Amino acid sequence: MPIVAVTLRGLLGRRRTILMILLVALPVLIALLVRLADSRMDVDRILDAMLVRTVLPLVALVMGTAALGSELEDGTAVYLIVKPVPRWRIVGAKMVVAAGLTAALVVPSAVLTGLLAGGTGPALGTTVGFAVAAAAGGAAYACAFVGLSAFTSRALVIGLAYTMIWEGVLAGLLEGTRFLSIRQATLGLAGGLSGQPVESGSLDPGLSVVIVVVAVGAAFVLGSIRLTRFEIRGAD
Amino acid sequence: MTDRGPSAGSVPGWPGVPVPAVPPEGVLAVDHVARWFGNVVAVNDISFSLGSGLTGLLGPNGAGKSTLLHLLAGLLEPSAGSVWIDGQRAWGNPATYRRLGLVPEREAVHDYLTGREFVRLNARLQGLPDIEAAVDRTIALVDLPDAADRAIGTYSKGMRQRIKLAGALVHDPPILLLDEPFNGMDPRQRLHMMDLLRTMAAAGRTILFSSHILEEVERLADSVLVIYAGRLAAWGDFRSIRRLMTDRPHTFTLRSSDDRRLAAVLLADPSVFGAELADGLLSVRTSDFGAFTQAVPRIARAESITLFELQPTDDSLESVFSYLVRR
Repeated sequence: MPIVAVTLRGLLGRRRTILMILLVALPVLIALLVRLADSRMDVDRILDAMLVRTVLPLVALVMGTAALGSELEDGTAVYLIVKPVPRWRIVGAKMVVAAGLTAALVVPSAVLTGLLAGGTGPALGTTVGFAVAAAAGGAAYACAFVGLSAFTSRALVIGLAYTMIWEGVLAGLLEGTRFLSIRQATLGLAGGLSGQPVESGSLDPGLSVVIVVVAVGAAFVLGSIRLTRFEIRGAD
Repeated sequence: MTDRGPSAGSVPGWPGVPVPAVPPEGVLAVDHVARWFGNVVAVNDISFSLGSGLTGLLGPNGAGKSTLLHLLAGLLEPSAGSVWIDGQRAWGNPATYRRLGLVPEREAVHDYLTGREFVRLNARLQGLPDIEAAVDRTIALVDLPDAADRAIGTYSKGMRQRIKLAGALVHDPPILLLDEPFNGMDPRQRLHMMDLLRTMAAAGRTILFSSHILEEVERLADSVLVIYAGRLAAWGDFRSIRRLMTDRPHTFTLRSSDDRRLAAVLLADPSVFGAELADGLLSVRTSDFGAFTQAVPRIARAESITLFELQPTDDSLESVFSYLVRR
């Protein structure tokens, strides 16, 4: 599909790719240091703190907002928009690429971090659980940010505020906000897949799946509706 | 590339570059369209319809040219009125893009693609059956075969304009909207683009292009749309518009076998209210273009004066434009 191909080419620019690889290498590096220092660290704690809370939302934010938002911002999106292509296909293609690239970056990071921190023993289940949950959570984040960038040119700032303030602060203080947190859904999934909750009060895995599906679906529907009515102003 | 009938010939000066014929069905219609942004009225109650041919869209900066082109391209929703492309509403109707090609004014193109990849992207999005043939034909049409495999990021401004045009032309649309298409082009590229547009218009396409360079519009356009402060100030052949400017005198220069005597007899004609003989050139001012051009040969014949030349001097688009925007 041409939109998938051109979006991939656009997102895999040299500078962005290097930056993202450095970002996902961070948890791996920390796990390596912990291992070299012969210190002990729980696999679920390092994956929770370094991957799910930090690297995952940042990677998805960069990929999600750049996939559509940067093209709308610099004006190149006009070449996709003035084509006999339904707008939902444009949004869908952008989401597939953003979610796919996020998964391609965070899943290897989760696996390597887990293996370095916990080895192939009993912690392997936790590692696999987090890797799968990171792919699902990354898809939810990336789609949400693609959808958001159809609504506002400040998607990066708003997305950052969502992950840092809403999920980072409010979700810890107010129990009810957990249902509107992709991070909590990711942790719920990871707990369900690894067989033990990541933290007390984690979301039910079934509910986590529903949250991820609703986030992806809502972002797709709303983003498509918005892009259908998207206006491009002239120079005067 | 879809088969649109027999070839209408090749671009003049560019043998071997065929321009396919297009049935004369491209029609743009604008019906009492207005568009405002908050309190700012960018386009105000404009109506016109265009058939095949080349039309120049003129107006000072900020007059609403780009807004009008974006309304026509379905990129903006009219605040009032409607825009039609071949009988279909332009806004919210992606199907119209099968029949429409747009060259936006903004320079941004996917810099990481080569020219060929960019044109191929456009062809694939149009769902063309023979993509490579359409890509090769269009790249030849805009005279970019040598640079087609270079990244667009390395292109000059004029080359970017041409690759944007190739992207808009790859599906052979009967309607073309071009926002400042000559920006950044060198004189040779300009001439080639003008020839190309003329040939495409002659093949039945409806082409509307905006430009702030009057000379370009004058040389190229069959008719003009003049926009001023969001309103349609004039529409049609600019020489006809000039004839309608009856509150502004027309000036002619004449050369004859006896300019002095011709001046004297012309001054007796009621349509003439001024004559001047300077540097061997007779200038006459008249309020009635039609009556004067009919009277001159009659008077010259009656006075046995041989008329060598009769030339309107302010019949240029520039004079029409400056008159319209100063009113």
